[in-house]
This record gives sequence, structure tokens and C-alpha cells, in this order.
Amino acid sequence: MTRPVATLRTTTTASIAAMIAASIIALGAGAGCLPTLAAQSAAPPGRAARLDEDVTFWGTKRYRLELSQGVALAISCHDGGPCEKLVATSDNPAIAEVRAASLTALQPAGYHGNQQSASAVVVVGKAPGTTTIHLRSKTGGRDVPVAVVAPPIATTTTAAAR
Amino acid sequence: MHQATLVGQCAADDVACSRRHPQAPIAIGTRFHPDVSTELAGNTTPNLILDSAVPEVIAVEDGALVARKPGTSAILISTDDGSVVDFVHVWVAPVTKITLARRDGDRVASAIALAVGEDVTLAPALWNGAQRLSGDGDVQWTASAPAPIAILRDGSADRRRLRARTPGKTTISVALGDVATAVDVEVVP
Repeated sequence: MTRPVATLRTTTTASIAAMIAASIIALGAGAGCLPTLAAQSAAPPGRAARLDEDVTFWGTKRYRLELSQGVALAISCHDGGPCEKLVATSDNPAIAEVRAASLTALQPAGYHGNQQSASAVVVVGKAPGTTTIHLRSKTGGRDVPVAVVAPPIATTTTAAAR
Repeated sequence: MHQATLVGQCAADDVACSRRHPQAPIAIGTRFHPDVSTELAGNTTPNLILDSAVPEVIAVEDGALVARKPGTSAILISTDDGSVVDFVHVWVAPVTKITLARRDGDRVASAIALAVGEDVTLAPALWNGAQRLSGDGDVQWTASAPAPIAILRDGSADRRRLRARTPGKTTISVALGDVATAVDVEVVP
């Protein structure tokens, strides 16, 4: 009776070890290829400018961006340091325009004390609607869905409508 | 991104003008003449270009911001190649009230009395409720009786110098679009 149990334990332990190893490899591969993004500016009062991330066990699965019309948001790109050769495009610049940004702030790059200028873009909400912006760097890319929302109705108009 | 500043083009000692900083919304129908500079370590300010995110709200014409309708728009400050150095969200609001102030910023709250030969410089301030607005507008100055006072331009778009010419009374009206204010002026010998 004890021998089958021992075999089962051995098999289970091996399976778990294999799963963990596979997870680490997959996590490492995913994290190594895809850059991470971070908002570098704030929304103006009463307007939207938020970069959200959908995080899973494996890391950041994707990013989502919501902007009000007329609002700009600076986003920096990292992949072990400032993204190298960052190129950004928009599927519909009439809804969300994306432009290269010049940030002079130095950020750590690599693990040997080097620094590089931050790599960033500015996304501008031009008109209400949805589109996707594509960020491509030397090590990978991100496709970020963007929702541009109309500005809120002025308070006086809202009050009059009540 | 804290790399550039955008302020109004004002003389250092011009109190009324120095208040027209971009922290105030720009009044609809007026123009804001910005003075842009950057603080980039190891760099002087590069040649910069202004763009508006929503030109229907704020247009950029010949380097000036032209307020067209209520709302907000990011003003992008870019280099020649289109790389954004910084941006500022600028608000536009309608004018609901006009007040007058002397050049030193002192608000005109009652009638003005002048002796013949004296003059006073007045500048209009534009408001939306309690919020002061910025921008140079095509403000119209008129006198109910033109004889006692000469309304002189002094190079500013909206400011005027009132010179007392002959004894008498008049009312100076100052209007921007449908919004107006008035001040009584008495000229004594």
C-alpha cells in the first residue's frame, strides 16, 4: 500500500517542479520581450488621462488608455532601461495622435550604472472615438487601445437641464 | 513634463499684464501672446513650435493662442522636428463681467475725477464669475460725451489713457462683445 503512494508523491512533485520551471521560463520570456509603460503626466481637472494595465500572473498582459478630447498624456517606455529605437504610430491620428517626446531626464539603463535619456511619447486625444496606438522598440512592442471621450458638459448647462 | 514654461508677454513692472499668466483661462474672443522657455539641462531654449490639440477650442495663429469656444486643449510645445518637449492644458471660458483697473492694478470702484491736463491709464480685466481671465481682446472704448476726455491708445490692445481736456462729465463705456462696464469721469478746471 505504501509503494503506490510514494510513486504518486514522486510524480506529483515532478509535475509541480516542471510547471514552476515552465512558468519561470514563460514569465521571463514575456517580461523580457515586452516593454513596460508608465504615465508621466497628470490629467487636468475634470478630464480623463489614465493608462491602465491588465495584470495577470504572468505580468502585464496589456495596457488601456483613456483620454478626454483635448487632453495630452506623456507615456514613458521601459525594457530594462529606456526603450531603444522607440517608434509609435496611431491607427487613426484623427482620434488619437501620438508623437515622440523629448525627455531630458536620465534613467538607469542596464545593471552596470549606465544611464540613458527617458524614452517617451505623447498621446493626444483629438476627437471622441476609439483607436489603437502601436509602440515598437528594439525588444518588442505594445498595442494599446485608446478611448477618447468627449469632455463633460459644462456645469451651467447641466444645471439648466435638470 | 516640467521642462517648459508658457507665460504671457508682459513688461516686468506691468502689474495688470503680469496677471495674464496661463494659469488663468483665456477669454473667448481674445488672444494670448505666450512667451515660451525651457529648462533643459545643458541646453538653451531650442526653436519651439506651438500646436493645439483641439483648434476648435484654441487655435494657434502666428504664435498667439486664440480662444474660440469653452473647453480645454493641450498646447503642445515641440521642436522643429515635431518632438514634444512639453505641453500645457489651457482652458477657455466666456466673459461674464468686465472690470477696470489702474495700471498699478488698483481696481476702479467708483467715479474718477481729473483736473484738466491730467490723465489716467485704465486697463480692463475680464472675468468669468470669480475667475479672472487672460487674453487681449478687441475691447471697445466709447465716451458718452467726447469733449471732456480724450481716449488715447498707448500701444496696448486693450489698455487706454484718458486725458482730461475740458471741464465736464462723461461716462466711459468699455465693451467686449455683449459684455460691458462703465465708469463716470468728471473733469474739473
